[in-house]
Amino acid sequence: MNKSKEKFMAAVFFASALISILAVGLICVFLFVNGIPALFKIGTLEFLGGSQWSPMDQPAYYGILPMIVGSLYVTAGAIILGVPIGVLSSIFMAWICPPRLYKWIKPAVDLLAGIPSVVYGFFGIAIIVPLTGNSIVSASILLGIMILPTVISIAESALRATPRQYYEGALALGAGPYRSLFYVVLPAAKNGILAAVVLGIGRAIGETMAVIMVAGNQARMPVSLFKGVRTLTANIVIEMGYAADLHRGALIATGVVLFVFILIINISFSALVRKDRG
Amino acid sequence: MKNQKNFERIMGILTWGAAALTLGVLAFIIGFILFKGVPHLKPSLIAFSYNSENVSLMPGLISTILMTLLSLAISVPVGVFAAIYLTEYAKRGSKLVSLVRLTTETLSGIPSIIYGLFGLLFFVTYLGWGFSLLAGAFTLSIMILPLIMRSCEEAIHSVPDVLREGAFGLGAGKLRTILKIVLPSALPGIFAGIILAIGRIVGETAALIYTAGTVAQIPKSPLSSVRTLSVHMYALSGEGLHTNESYATAVVLLLVVVAINTLSAKIVKSIGVK
Amino acid sequence: MKKIIISLLFIVLIASTLLGCGAKNQGAFDLEKEIIVVSREEGSGTRGAFVELFAILIKGDGIRKDLTTKEAIISKQTDVVMQIISSNKYALGYISLGSLNDGVKVLAIEGIEPRTENVMNGSYPISRPFIIATKSDTSKLTKDFISFIMSKQGQGVIAKSYIAISDDFQNYSTVKASGRIVVAGSTSVAPIMEKLKEAYMQINPGVVIEIQQSDSSSGMQGVIDGNSDIAMVSRELAKSEREKLTPIKIALDGIVLIANKHNPVVGLTREQVGDIYTGKILTWGQINE
Repeated sequence: MNKSKEKFMAAVFFASALISILAVGLICVFLFVNGIPALFKIGTLEFLGGSQWSPMDQPAYYGILPMIVGSLYVTAGAIILGVPIGVLSSIFMAWICPPRLYKWIKPAVDLLAGIPSVVYGFFGIAIIVPLTGNSIVSASILLGIMILPTVISIAESALRATPRQYYEGALALGAGPYRSLFYVVLPAAKNGILAAVVLGIGRAIGETMAVIMVAGNQARMPVSLFKGVRTLTANIVIEMGYAADLHRGALIATGVVLFVFILIINISFSALVRKDRG
Repeated sequence: MKNQKNFERIMGILTWGAAALTLGVLAFIIGFILFKGVPHLKPSLIAFSYNSENVSLMPGLISTILMTLLSLAISVPVGVFAAIYLTEYAKRGSKLVSLVRLTTETLSGIPSIIYGLFGLLFFVTYLGWGFSLLAGAFTLSIMILPLIMRSCEEAIHSVPDVLREGAFGLGAGKLRTILKIVLPSALPGIFAGIILAIGRIVGETAALIYTAGTVAQIPKSPLSSVRTLSVHMYALSGEGLHTNESYATAVVLLLVVVAINTLSAKIVKSIGVK
Repeated sequence: MKKIIISLLFIVLIASTLLGCGAKNQGAFDLEKEIIVVSREEGSGTRGAFVELFAILIKGDGIRKDLTTKEAIISKQTDVVMQIISSNKYALGYISLGSLNDGVKVLAIEGIEPRTENVMNGSYPISRPFIIATKSDTSKLTKDFISFIMSKQGQGVIAKSYIAISDDFQNYSTVKASGRIVVAGSTSVAPIMEKLKEAYMQINPGVVIEIQQSDSSSGMQGVIDGNSDIAMVSRELAKSEREKLTPIKIALDGIVLIANKHNPVVGLTREQVGDIYTGKILTWGQINE
């Protein structure tokens, strides 16, 4: 009786573990089946390398290079602004912050994570845009803020998982508290922090609703940090409602490109992490 | 020696500064929303049914709660079970485990707009569910799965082996050990994952406009189209007719998030005390 | 503890200065500054009507080209258009007359103010129809709802915020209908459709009307596919759509050009608007020449 129950539950656990493989498989199949034909019809080179996007004109142009570059720009900007602040904050929370203060900071970070992107978008359009316009800079600042909670909570738990002895050992060897943190604890938590950065990139590159309110959404190559760009996500959400036939296919293919980006980032990071371990 | 002191000082300032900046930004955003939204809070906003006069957010609120519960009901068991398999059953370094890890990481990196596209192509169109609560919840449950799996895995990992060995030593089977010893001690970590997941569900817009639709109504069946609070806010700003109500909705949305977070923190604490 | 308080104070200080900068919008209006052009996304009914009315769109045999400058900021939401205009002195945008609020300044076109009566009598030339489209064999209930929209009562509801097509229509007589109608389509038409729905359901409590907001094209596709009964359309129907659906004009909507309140310009000619949106005129100074 007990044995069959053990077996049954083991099978349930096993099946559950397979769900994520199934989900990724389904997502791949449905995106690719709906997006790849359009990609071939347009021509891979024209699609990925074309710098003109005017799908509703006749003849239509389907070049998403501006959006690829746009996404890279704002994501890079968000990482440059968000990761240092996030990692420093997580060090603060995991090692420095007095417990009395921690009681306040932790819920604050959770709250920051819970604020919906639309609310961030409203904040962006009302506060950031009047200062820096609808531009790459505005989008980077807003995304930098939005990835903070992701970066902080992942990095914090990685830092907390580092054995206390590392820190104490470094102190005992005569290093100051911050030197111990930055030279001993931080390197020990490197993998977790990399994971935090990956998730941060994922959130930044995938953010849609807040970005469309501040980025300007011009479908042309970026011209200046203080001018707007259109990201891949914005391209999809702005036009999906109107798209039919090849245009719709092209937007799903835009999604495929975004998806492939995410895959590349994930694979290269896990390769990095593995190499580091081995 | 002087170098050492400077390093300490500079890093101290940077660390404290970063934390203060994080808090400051949060305070600023909250202050901004309250400033813009609170003056427009009025009782008609929570009227039971929506119309263009009262712009009620009640259907949105109820839809949000239903959407959250349904997504969690699908995702939490799967996520927890998968984490148990990965930590307690799978052989370390097996090909399957690394594939599961890889796909989970992939899922967590997939942007919500892609989930929206997928949900539209699969649940809405292919399975023929239409814009519905169900299609939205299934889409979201895939989206939050990695959050739950990851936090649960980490929590189970951090349960000391001594506990397991103790239970085995007392003659408990593997399943019993997991359910009675390992899971309870991992609960706070699991809840942390659920909080993050709820945060994502409540804040989600892009994945929902293509799966759950935008009808402002209290759903009559799982196949009704619904509009969660975030989508409601987005929809209100579309025509520029209800800007004030949008901000008021944002205030309520924040209150919901605060309530969820406080509640979960309490749960985690009460378990921790036990 | 002291450190935190000091740094928090510091942040509040920075934040409030930033906020102060953002709020103040004064200073002389610099005519040499670039015009910040704000447009709607391609496919939106508002943009479709706008580019057609100002000859920004070239249409011919197998040729269609929207000449809107690539530098134009694209916004999907009317709210965002108004926010950008109200916070940027040099911005210019366009929205539906029905969405106008007093945070922005309305520009006259060819010297004519965009007022309801001017749109109705045609002297303000920048307007577009709001259309509903159905299959010819639509249900009796849908037909009844449409007869309500086209009645004195229905047009009265429209006239409160938009522009009725005409003011002599028949009275609507109740038939005590019941059932369900699904309306889908343009977000521009949705607000007025909601008002119509509420007025209709007051007379016919047994009817449930569901309004799905997406856009004109998918609204019509929904009706063709049988997923909905009525499509809301904020542009003229394409030939292929006309073959399958019957359009009915239910209201008129003016499109207004809006600028920041600190902008000294009070009106533009059609040609100037066209030139600004195609990137031929780049600065506000070029307008007065």
